[in-house]
Formats: sequence, C-alpha cells, structure tokens
Amino acid sequence: MFGYRRHSQVPSLNTTSTADISFMLLVFFLVTSSMDSDKGLRRQLPPPPTEEQQAVDIMKDDIMTVVLDGTNQLVVEGDTVSPEQLKQRIVEFAAVAPKRRVIALDVAPDATYDAYFHLQETIVTAYRRLKTAPRISETIGETALQPEEGGAQ
Amino acid sequence: MRHTIRRRKHEVPELNMAALPDLIFTVLFFFMIVTHMRDVDKRVVYEIPAGQKMEQVGHQKNVVYIYIGRPTDGSSDDYQIQLGNRIASVADVAAYVKNERLHMSAENQERMTVCIRADRGTPMRLLGEVKQQLRDAYALDVTYSGVSGNKDVTTPHSRR
Repeated sequence: MFGYRRHSQVPSLNTTSTADISFMLLVFFLVTSSMDSDKGLRRQLPPPPTEEQQAVDIMKDDIMTVVLDGTNQLVVEGDTVSPEQLKQRIVEFAAVAPKRRVIALDVAPDATYDAYFHLQETIVTAYRRLKTAPRISETIGETALQPEEGGAQ
Repeated sequence: MRHTIRRRKHEVPELNMAALPDLIFTVLFFFMIVTHMRDVDKRVVYEIPAGQKMEQVGHQKNVVYIYIGRPTDGSSDDYQIQLGNRIASVADVAAYVKNERLHMSAENQERMTVCIRADRGTPMRLLGEVKQQLRDAYALDVTYSGVSGNKDVTTPHSRR
C-alpha cells in the first residue's frame, strides 16, 4: 500500500503464458485419463468349501439344469433353446418358489465367455421380475462351484 | 507497423484475455476430478461382451482388475491373464488379489470387488480356474465387465 504512494511500483507479472501452461495440463489429463466408467454383471461367488460343510438335499423338481455346451448352445432338459425361450422357462420355473428353486448350470470348458455372459444376463433378467436373487449351482467342466447364490438383486 | 495502424484511427480494441487462464483452469479441475488415471499398460488385447442389464462397477479404489485376452506382443495365440502390469498364470490370481486387498483401506476391503475384463472368446475352462482362485482368496464379489450395446450384434460372433 505504502509502496505505491512512494512511486516504487511493483511491475505486474506477465501472465500471458498461464493459459498456455494450463492448456498443456488440460491436454495431458485428457490424454492420460479415461472417462469410461466400467459397467458389468455383478455376481456373488460361493465361499470355498469348508470341512464341516454338509450336502443339502434338494428335491429333483426344484432343480433346473441348464447346459451350455461346447458349441455355445443352450440345452434345457434335453431341448436346445434360444436365450428368449430360456428366459421364459426360468420365469415359469422360478415363479413357483423363487427362494427354494435352484438353477444348475453345466458349462462346457470349451464354451466361450461371451455365451456364458449372455446366459448370466438372461438369468438376471428373468429373476429381476421376481425380485429375488437367483440360486445358481455351477459346474464348469470338472470345477464345481456350488451353490452360487445372490449377486443380482 | 505501429505507426501505420495509428494513422488509420480505426484500431480494433484488444481482446481481454485476463479471464482465459481461469476458464481453462476450471475445465482442467473438472477433468481432474471426473477422470481416473490409467495405471496399467495393456499386455493383452480383449473385447468385452456387450449386454444391456448391467450395473456400475464400484469406486475405483475398491476394484481389482483381472484382464484376460491374447498377448499384445504376439508371443502366443493363447489366452493369457494380466494382473497389474504383467502377464501371470492362473495360480497367481489368488495371491495377487490377496495382496491388492492388503493395500486397501479397511473400508474398501469390505467392499472390494473383482472386475473381470475378459475377451469374448475366452474358453470357460480358463474362467472356471480363475473363479476357483477367487473363491480361495475369499474375493467373492465378482463383476463381469461388459459394454452397453446391442446383444444381437454379437450373436453371430458368439453362437456360430
């Protein structure tokens, strides 16, 4: 304040290049960052088997076996079905007792991930109307994952 | 130069650029906040499946990524797993996930989710092994990453 009065004025800082500097920073962030937020199908895996785990008896009527074979075909109880038909079948099957009924997936080791992804999506879609999480027991080749529960609301 | 302009007496007033840095800084801060840095280099090429019924993957800080695809350097034509910045074998998955979880805050550890970004053509044999590893590591919350899009576009590709 007093400095100004004394005529020893501080020269103003040249800020012309500030814009260029911040432009460079901006471009750097645009290049190195990715805006795309990830989306995906959320599933819950069963915990690893424990010693005291006991086999649970499930009535035959409460299990629907869905096979995804090596050529990515969906087979339900001997019939080859389309994803749309499968959705219908799951809705019919699960609507009776959604909490009790189990879908047993039998996935061939040679099936592709894409087909599996769409199978999972079909199940999620079918169960979305029932407002309960699907109970899934899953076998991929020799690796058994049982029982897969929950995941999608 | 200066004299010639002055003589015409029609000098165009200079544009005030004082607010430009502030403006650009605002845009810069916006980008800094909404984006996240890519912290891994791609070692595998993959094309994730397309779907419609998908949810948002959790916050960046509690997501562990597993990439499955073909190596970018063309060293082999088989499907490989990328953990962090390197190509790893299936047996390393459990240890990697456990290690990643250790480096998270307690809050994020509980919410940790594993995001699998796998190529459409990945055989389920490999995926089954990965899932088994995740079970062993008690990483039970899994997200199969996908892009929003029309399923039918991928149908001929997947169901040949």
